[in-house]
Amino acid sequence: MCDIIWCKKEVTGKPCDTINYLDPYCFWNWEGTINCAECGTVYYIHMIQGFMYQGPDERPGEKPDTMPLYADKPFDGYSNYRPGVEGRTRPYECKPRSVLLGVADMVKFSIRGRPVRGWRPQPPSAGLAGSFGFNWDIQKLTPEVWEEYQQKLAAGQVKDW
Amino acid sequence: MAKDPRVTRIEDLPGPKSKGEMDESKMPYEEYCKKLFDVGNEHTKPTALKGIRWLSCTMYIFTPHSVANLAELGAECIKIEMSRMGDAMRHTSPFNEAYLYPLHDTRPMTGTGLGFTNANPNKYFMTMDYHIPEMVEQFYGLVKKSDGLTELYRPGTLDKWKMSYRYLSEMNPRFIYVWGGGFGYGPKIFGGSYDILGQAHAGLASITGMHEYMGGHATKCTNWVIDWQSGNMITTAILAAIHHRRKTGLGTMIEFSQVQVPTRMLGHTTTMYGKFGIVRQRWGNWDTQLAAHGIILCGKSDFPDADNPQDKFCARYVMVSAFQDADFKELCAITGMNNLYDKYKAHKDRVEGEAQVEIYTALEKWAADKSRSQVAKILQDAGILAEPVRNDREVYESPHYRERGTVRWLDDPLFGDMVLHSGYSCGHMEKTPRRTNWHWRPVGADNKKIYHDMLGVPLTKIKEWYDKAWI
Repeated sequence: MCDIIWCKKEVTGKPCDTINYLDPYCFWNWEGTINCAECGTVYYIHMIQGFMYQGPDERPGEKPDTMPLYADKPFDGYSNYRPGVEGRTRPYECKPRSVLLGVADMVKFSIRGRPVRGWRPQPPSAGLAGSFGFNWDIQKLTPEVWEEYQQKLAAGQVKDW
Repeated sequence: MAKDPRVTRIEDLPGPKSKGEMDESKMPYEEYCKKLFDVGNEHTKPTALKGIRWLSCTMYIFTPHSVANLAELGAECIKIEMSRMGDAMRHTSPFNEAYLYPLHDTRPMTGTGLGFTNANPNKYFMTMDYHIPEMVEQFYGLVKKSDGLTELYRPGTLDKWKMSYRYLSEMNPRFIYVWGGGFGYGPKIFGGSYDILGQAHAGLASITGMHEYMGGHATKCTNWVIDWQSGNMITTAILAAIHHRRKTGLGTMIEFSQVQVPTRMLGHTTTMYGKFGIVRQRWGNWDTQLAAHGIILCGKSDFPDADNPQDKFCARYVMVSAFQDADFKELCAITGMNNLYDKYKAHKDRVEGEAQVEIYTALEKWAADKSRSQVAKILQDAGILAEPVRNDREVYESPHYRERGTVRWLDDPLFGDMVLHSGYSCGHMEKTPRRTNWHWRPVGADNKKIYHDMLGVPLTKIKEWYDKAWI
């Protein structure tokens, strides 16, 4: 599904040998110029329904219309340029937040500033066979969060919506 | 007053004197609805399914959701999970970030992921290892005290364990038994299923998204629509079975193949093939029956300075509907596409595929230097149906959903502050509204309630089973 531009431009006496991936969602039907993520050589391509109708043709001196999303160098132990490397690959914009952790996010308060049990470890149930009651007594079980909540209340940081 | 005191005249009675006067005295419809449904005070009203007790031997979204519907309507629903592990869905979370703790006493560092959300509200949670004969006895005890069960194991698994309908109906003839799973009996009886498999197998994914011609691909809906919809369909079957039982006194078995559901959601697709040999194609953000009636991309985001990429980059889409001749004429006039109106005056002409390509391309070209809200406002001011494509944050902020109680905050008794829609998105009921009491509870949180309070098992026995990890 994914076409590539294998850049073999001679740079400092060696071929660049970088594979620039043309992700189909962007390039399926596309005409314009794109840079090599490694050496910056600008190529013109014209793709029609995923087929490389014309190019890649070098266009020295032209400014690229876009950048590849990802590129790697297979002869270099597969070192790569991940999305969002400034000036080399396209920004990675499909994130649900500006900061994506990828690990459990320890939160103690909801977006409106009220306590939510989103951190670990939590105290055990103290009930038989793992049984829980129907009330999280935050003041008793986690006094430090209760205290922080009181401070938020006093500072007017707790909202209704 | 009438001469004859036995005669009652309407003009002598208090209140309106005519139908017209009565109509005038009625409160405006808006006020009437607000008073009738009394959003926010659902818990002051009774529940529709009070008295129904349902067992749930379910996992993931599809079958748990069928029981969640009952639980929101007031049934007492008991979810039986693997001891210490729980439903596999508890261990999923979007991009591995969102969890609530604790999962279980023995696993203080593990939480329940938000993948579990909405499929398990109001349920009671117990644990049981079905492989232990003593536990199967307890299971039978529950069946005798319950109205029905939903399970999702491979077809015949519970039959092998003597826990299927033909065994349970001998213990409780009023028992309603639901098997829900992938393919059901037939050539692929052992085939498991997930939502994505259902979307693919039944052809839904083949008609979702844009055609390759427009740079699209066969597409799975981001959310698990087939899981959620299959759950709804099972609940419909359960309610019908409960009604049938009121008439006959007998339970029934419901066998529900998940991969059937998307065929129901395909509309005219199959019938069209049968009559004309047409294999329906993807048409993504446009429409095969109506034009113009689609979603277009605008050039500028509504929130170019936002921190969140969903706002910064994605707030660029608007839905527009102007398929009637007068609306299409107006659309062409305000967007400067008069030549297209001259060309496609009749709907039968503009609904044709190549015409749509031309129309939507011209619309997006017109919108290329405008933001989403500018486009929506221009179209709305011209009397054309148009709405921005909202993201989650905008739905949360929307006064419409807030006023109707669709999106609201819940102080969950165990997990604290949570925003939710769940049952509140399922329409209003005057007398017996749906409600959410809690989002979920930890694994085995109600073991004592079920084993001791309901089944009469001594506390020492429960402790012994727990120590052996039978429960």
